[in-house]
Amino acid sequence: MIAEFSASSIAFWLLSAVSIGSAAVVVFTRDVMRLAISLGVFFLTVAGWYLYFTHAFLAVAQVFLYAGGVLVLVLFAIMFLRRSKAGEPILESRHSTDSVVIAVGLGFLVVMSLRDRVPIALPQQAFPTTTELADILLGPMLPHLAAVSLLLLVACVSVLVVFGGERE
Amino acid sequence: MSGFVGGLIWGLAAGTLIAIAALFGVWWERKVAGRIQMRIGPQTTGPAGILQTIADTLKLILKEDITPDQADVRVFRLAPLVVFVPVAMSFSVIPFAAGFAPLDTSVGMLFFLAVPALSVIGILLGGWSSRNTYATIGAIRAAAQMISYELPRALAVLSLVVLAGSIRPLDVMAAWSPWWIIATAPGFIVYFIASIAEVNRGPFDIPEAESELVAGYFADYSGIRWSIFMMAEYGGMVAASLFGAAVFLGGWNWLPGIGGILVFVALTLALVTAMVWVKWTYPRLRADQLMSFAWKIMTPAAIVQLVVVAVIAPWL
Repeated sequence: MIAEFSASSIAFWLLSAVSIGSAAVVVFTRDVMRLAISLGVFFLTVAGWYLYFTHAFLAVAQVFLYAGGVLVLVLFAIMFLRRSKAGEPILESRHSTDSVVIAVGLGFLVVMSLRDRVPIALPQQAFPTTTELADILLGPMLPHLAAVSLLLLVACVSVLVVFGGERE
Repeated sequence: MSGFVGGLIWGLAAGTLIAIAALFGVWWERKVAGRIQMRIGPQTTGPAGILQTIADTLKLILKEDITPDQADVRVFRLAPLVVFVPVAMSFSVIPFAAGFAPLDTSVGMLFFLAVPALSVIGILLGGWSSRNTYATIGAIRAAAQMISYELPRALAVLSLVVLAGSIRPLDVMAAWSPWWIIATAPGFIVYFIASIAEVNRGPFDIPEAESELVAGYFADYSGIRWSIFMMAEYGGMVAASLFGAAVFLGGWNWLPGIGGILVFVALTLALVTAMVWVKWTYPRLRADQLMSFAWKIMTPAAIVQLVVVAVIAPWL
């Protein structure tokens, strides 16, 4: 019984609790700022899951893109909204039935598609996933990577053109 | 559980290191700023005024911790920690000596770029929760600035990754050669300038511009919570200097043993001094100047540096 409470199992249960808890807060809270904070905690727990399964590169990418990028964008949007009176949330989530149905449907699809792919047990040995990723991305997947990079570059330039046009 | 205990010890060590770095940084900044302005700086409290900062710290700890009436109390109190913790974590991947980094991870270079960037969340929360116009404007400015300067900073560091063929800091240090200083000089300048902007120091301190925003996103903070923001700023400055001194300038590679460590410390101190020098020499940029500098000069320069390094890498 004592052996079951290893650092790995404690990390597993802790991550599970925080992941589910923060996700539940995102769904059920009405104050959008608190919702965003919970979303940030959830993003970080996803990074924690990647680390748990020894995928360090994905964990850092998760922090870089989602916690440091998407979340900041969400907070940025909230801050541009009108002010509210003290003690009142700045914006409340409507919690519409449609969004619940869509969320449940998406969750069901994700669970069904990943149920056979995600290992529950911790891999026996950690390995440097970064090297493998680099070999794949700069090897057989190089055309795909170049295509996506080009697409993103076009998107960036388009945004500049659109905003430049508005200014004129 | 030894990993957990080890992490705890390193966490405490990082916290202590940042506290000492902040104490030293404030004193050093006052002395350097004094010299730049033809003054002596602190001199009465302790030898060369070194105890002045400790006295100030005691004052800050004892000051009343005020929370504005209309603030979102929980978020207001949480924000300084959200700013400080990522900065403290960034110390863990710095290669302090040959074969030693507290957290020796295969993605250390990315970790150093990604994790401190989370501080911007705390800044946004602090500015928003104060329900103060100055604080909100300061937070929005800080977020825009930090996101803009992250890109050239990451691209500059990427040059080193190309040269070393690894994103593990200890591998970069092992592969480092003195020729890299010449090859990555523009990248180092971009990294240095972007690091100053990342920690919101002058001339990039428009988020906390005292002449227009009082103190920006932490205008309503006082006492210990205010000092946590300051510790994060000075901690970020020292972390960026340590990392830059190691991976760009070679750190402890110059001499074997303790001599190498001393060179590493001297290089770090030189970078910290340069940051202080820049702050007290250049006037504050306007918001639009700051953004166009990031997108029109820094980012293209970092991209050119990356391309040049990619071309010459086989010969280095």
